[in-house]
Amino acid sequence: MTDDSPAPGRVLISPRAISTIAAQAALRSYGVVGMGSRSLFDGLAGLVAHDPHQGVEIDTSGDDIVIDLYVVVEYGTRISVVASSVAHSVSYLVERALGMPVAAVNVHVQDLRVSDTD
Amino acid sequence: MTLTEPVIQAELRFRLMERYRRLDGLLLRLLAEAGANWLRTNAAVVNSLNVFPVPDGDTGTNMTLTMQSAWAEIESLPDRSLGKVAHALAHGALMGARGNSGVILSQLWRGFARSIDDNYDADAPALAQALAEARDTAYKGVVRPVEGTILTVSKDVADAAAQAVEGGADSSLEILEAAVRAADESVQRTPELLPVLKEAGVVDSGGKGLFFILEGMLRAAYRLPLDRPLVSVQPLSELALADASEAIEPGQDWEVVVDFRPQQALDVPAFYQRLETMGTSIQVGEGDGLYRMHIHVPNATEYEPIEYIRTLGTITNVHMENLMEQMAGGPKAADRSVPLAKVEQGQIAVIAVSPGPGLSRVFGSLGVAALVEGGQTMNPSTQEILGALESLPTDDILILPNNENILLTARQVAELTTKRVRVIPTTSVPQGVAAMLAHDPNGDPSQVASAMEAALPHVRTAEMTLATRSVGLDGVSVREGQTIGLLDGQLAVSGDSLEAALLAILQKADAGTAELVTVYYGADLAAAEAERLGDIIRRAWPNLEVELHEGGQPHYPLILSIE
Repeated sequence: MTDDSPAPGRVLISPRAISTIAAQAALRSYGVVGMGSRSLFDGLAGLVAHDPHQGVEIDTSGDDIVIDLYVVVEYGTRISVVASSVAHSVSYLVERALGMPVAAVNVHVQDLRVSDTD
Repeated sequence: MTLTEPVIQAELRFRLMERYRRLDGLLLRLLAEAGANWLRTNAAVVNSLNVFPVPDGDTGTNMTLTMQSAWAEIESLPDRSLGKVAHALAHGALMGARGNSGVILSQLWRGFARSIDDNYDADAPALAQALAEARDTAYKGVVRPVEGTILTVSKDVADAAAQAVEGGADSSLEILEAAVRAADESVQRTPELLPVLKEAGVVDSGGKGLFFILEGMLRAAYRLPLDRPLVSVQPLSELALADASEAIEPGQDWEVVVDFRPQQALDVPAFYQRLETMGTSIQVGEGDGLYRMHIHVPNATEYEPIEYIRTLGTITNVHMENLMEQMAGGPKAADRSVPLAKVEQGQIAVIAVSPGPGLSRVFGSLGVAALVEGGQTMNPSTQEILGALESLPTDDILILPNNENILLTARQVAELTTKRVRVIPTTSVPQGVAAMLAHDPNGDPSQVASAMEAALPHVRTAEMTLATRSVGLDGVSVREGQTIGLLDGQLAVSGDSLEAALLAILQKADAGTAELVTVYYGADLAAAEAERLGDIIRRAWPNLEVELHEGGQPHYPLILSIE
């Protein structure tokens, strides 16, 4: 990824850096109680090391940044609202940090966490 | 103590303490309805507290809709049991949760209901316990809670309720009183906890919403009215400052308008109260943390409001006008700051209708000789245009109506004067600007008019605004509150954000084949945000030149000219 400002050289931002921002933003978003994993393997790895990038996939293959989030949502909240809210908040914070537009944030609700039953 | 805290007579309070000793389902129904109503009454105040441009942009509306959905669930419920009513409220809030703050509100109700369980009623300690569980449930919904938000307020409310019980409170009314006081104080503290609030000079909107729900409940218990907001804060764009040429009463010698950024969250009721001691016709508007105060004050005290506001924060702009002098026939204030072209007899003069101060400056710099204020929602009268026309020293006049709705008025004016008037049929600001670029004050009037008219098809106009109702039109379906984009007057795109709609409409206008996009941003849009949107356009279409101008028009955050 290159920045187009006339700096003396190029600024490269790795997808990993973007995923860190996205994961932090997601975990501050109301209703998201954890990051999920894409596969069983990731799940096991996630148990061993607390990976700050877990549950985030960044696709920068085209001109656009596309973010996929795999999240665990609190049981008893309105999932559609939580999902749209986390998408907005991640997109906003990533755009603000990078100064580049985010084309899409896809939210995959992988599980619900049941803290209390009603 | 702030002005907003409800007060009642000691004797009435004593009777109410008894009535509210135990909270049952009927009382909670009454309180929940009151909370919802009071929040709706004050939703505009809560909406005005947004820290631009966070994603959750209309907290007051969202929380109101969530509370209304909760209320709808119990409206026809015959039950008198507190547990039944609380669970129904929680269910309704969950189903109707809108926005972040709505989801948190639904979690608060959920925790409250779970604590009440299926009990028929609750005494003060049980109520305090329910508030504690409401807080716990709300906090469980997020991994990293952000303090200085509605969560913090719910925590402070629960703490205050617990303290009240420790202090011997034995009526649910006392719990409610403690909760309202704690919520009020907690909301005032939010800027200390959350820097982004402090920067914007506002308190947290979700927390304020929760405060209004609780205060509405207390007002209902106290039997105070719920339909009248204590103060009204409006967006800057809607702040229609009184026309100074209207009748001026004694004691209104000066009009003072001050723009300022408060150092701390502005206590609006106290602010109003203080201003009322100084003058009349008080209006306060807010946008992006910037406040605008308008007041009429008597002679010799005209600096008082300014001195007062200096103690509250940073003043960014002051405008003072001697109304008495103006009544006596002084020049119109609006025209002073705009450089207008001087025309002489025999030259061609252009009158443009302009919807905003920034756009007036643009027209002025392009050689317009007179300006008439007006736009989509405020069409100027034939008289206003005629007045401008007659004041010009030349007989050859061109009018740029710059709006479809004003075209007819402009044509009528042409028939009411002996001057030679031609109307260039511009239906948008960009068309007006394009026409001005082809203007020559010394040319032959009919040739100049045709040259200006010929320039119109070369520019396309995109206008962005908010949909005021849901509609399906020209193959575009729009929900109320969405941003819509009109391309050359036709509804072309809709989007959930200004940014999304902006990119969509530029796509639709074939921005890739254009050379220049000129962006006129409106009164509601901060310069920094306009700058950001400009960068987004530049990135999406690197070959396109993008120019930004402050337009200052109301209702339309963006007007774009695409050439």
